[in-house]
Amino acid sequence: MDWALLAESATNGGLVGLMYSLVAMGIVLIYKSSSVPNLAQGSMTMLGAYVVLAFANNAKAPIWLAIMLAIVTMFGVGMAIERVALRRLAGRPIIMILMMTLGLEILLRAGAMTIWGGTGRPMPLGISDDPLFLGSMLINRTYAVGAAVAIVMFGLFMLFFRTRMGVVLRAISDDYTAAWSVGISVERGVALSWAMSAVVATVAGVLWASVQGVDQSLAQLLLKGVTVAVLGGLDSLGGALLAGMLLGIVEGVSASFLDPVLGGASRDLVDAAMLMLTIMLRPHGLYGRHDIERI
Amino acid sequence: MPNSNTSAAAKILSLNNIEVVYDHVSLAIKGVSIEVPEGGMVALLGANGAGKSTTLKSISGLLVAERGEVRRGELQFLGRSISLLSPQQRVKLGIAHVLEGRRVFEHLTPDENLVAASAVRSRHDMNRNKERVYGYFPRLHERRGVASGYLSGGEQQMLAIGRALMTQPKLLMLDEPSLGLAPFLVAEIFQIIGRINREEGLSVLLVEQNAVAALEIVSHGYLIESGRIVMHDTAEALKRNPDIREFYLGGAKAKSFHDIKHYSRRKRWLT
Repeated sequence: MDWALLAESATNGGLVGLMYSLVAMGIVLIYKSSSVPNLAQGSMTMLGAYVVLAFANNAKAPIWLAIMLAIVTMFGVGMAIERVALRRLAGRPIIMILMMTLGLEILLRAGAMTIWGGTGRPMPLGISDDPLFLGSMLINRTYAVGAAVAIVMFGLFMLFFRTRMGVVLRAISDDYTAAWSVGISVERGVALSWAMSAVVATVAGVLWASVQGVDQSLAQLLLKGVTVAVLGGLDSLGGALLAGMLLGIVEGVSASFLDPVLGGASRDLVDAAMLMLTIMLRPHGLYGRHDIERI
Repeated sequence: MPNSNTSAAAKILSLNNIEVVYDHVSLAIKGVSIEVPEGGMVALLGANGAGKSTTLKSISGLLVAERGEVRRGELQFLGRSISLLSPQQRVKLGIAHVLEGRRVFEHLTPDENLVAASAVRSRHDMNRNKERVYGYFPRLHERRGVASGYLSGGEQQMLAIGRALMTQPKLLMLDEPSLGLAPFLVAEIFQIIGRINREEGLSVLLVEQNAVAALEIVSHGYLIESGRIVMHDTAEALKRNPDIREFYLGGAKAKSFHDIKHYSRRKRWLT
């Protein structure tokens, strides 16, 4: 057993996992405030990265400003998605809303292909490629930054859900009709959750793009996001954070040790196993809420 | 038969010939007219499926959540027509609807339930309103940190009423607050509703199957059957009415199904 390799791949895996958490958090945000599982989170992440590039390359904005502008833009995009695609579906069966988000996913991916083409572009964040040395372990700097950002975002959202607006969003996710009955603007609340989710998607998009470049394959992060969100419990931000780390560690370790045997498929196999086992053994995930039943 | 005193007093709410259809086809209420005097307490009585909840939803605007719509009739609140307003706008005007089955936000604590419903912006005003609710329902204060899904039925009903009070209503509409509660709890909750009505001048429209309890606290009552108002009188007169005694207050001797059918037909004739 190569302990040094184990430690290194577990650490890097954990950091990558926290970057998965960023994608998952977007899914959780929407689910937590409207009980809709968003299948477009991956392509929103991709779109966020493209919008940053559009501001940086076409408008020649410095990268930090481009990110700020993209965050504002994507906030609007999130609101618009709710207004145009989802508002009219309020109160319809969840399966129809789910299919609508799948349609959005395809639309955004195809739209990005149409506008920006299929070639990969770099995301010049200016994070050095040199590894960090932690004892004898080599740590990827981008992963470290991504993980830190994920933890900061997590903290911000935790604080948000304690504010009055946050309580209102949780109320909406509990019971639409009851929320209406006390004068809560359900539509505005759901729109806000989509906007916040689009913002976190932008952040995730930028970080992931600096790892793998900007192209449509960023949308495939949906699979990681869904796996992590389900494992964490769909409506638990803390669960998403922990589940991301867990998935990342298992993935990282298995990639280091099993890839030679499995021909490079071990990450995906781990994802599939995690997702399916969670649903079979623990459908509410690590920290998901159970529906309260009084006895 | 309708009491002329009610129409003379200032009305906070009046329904004139309201007709509601669900899904464009099924007619749920067929020309319901009701008036609630300002500061008054009125009951809408009737059996299961008679159209009581639908009537309330037509007033609060919550029909939209169930693909229902008011197809005909006039809805007036404080002298202005509200037919075209959204549920939020109606709440803002002062209409609070406590839903059947309580429907508290189960995963939120009672305190958060009150916060979510709070109509006022300033934290100071919100806390004052919360104190007021806790004043009426001290038990909610004791349980304020527990997830509301774990409260007892009575506590949830108190929370649902308290939550509605956070919107600072002028009219409180209650849909079957006695449902599934022990008689002593029903008495307690009705007594508090009466107190709120007296102390704050809040008008109340109470929908009930439990006519005995309801007629104790209201001044007037309407009786609805198959989507139509079939009777309207003072609470005292309704309590004395032989038909009401028999069918809604659990009165005297048992009758055959034929008599009941006859009764229904006669009632329809009378309207």
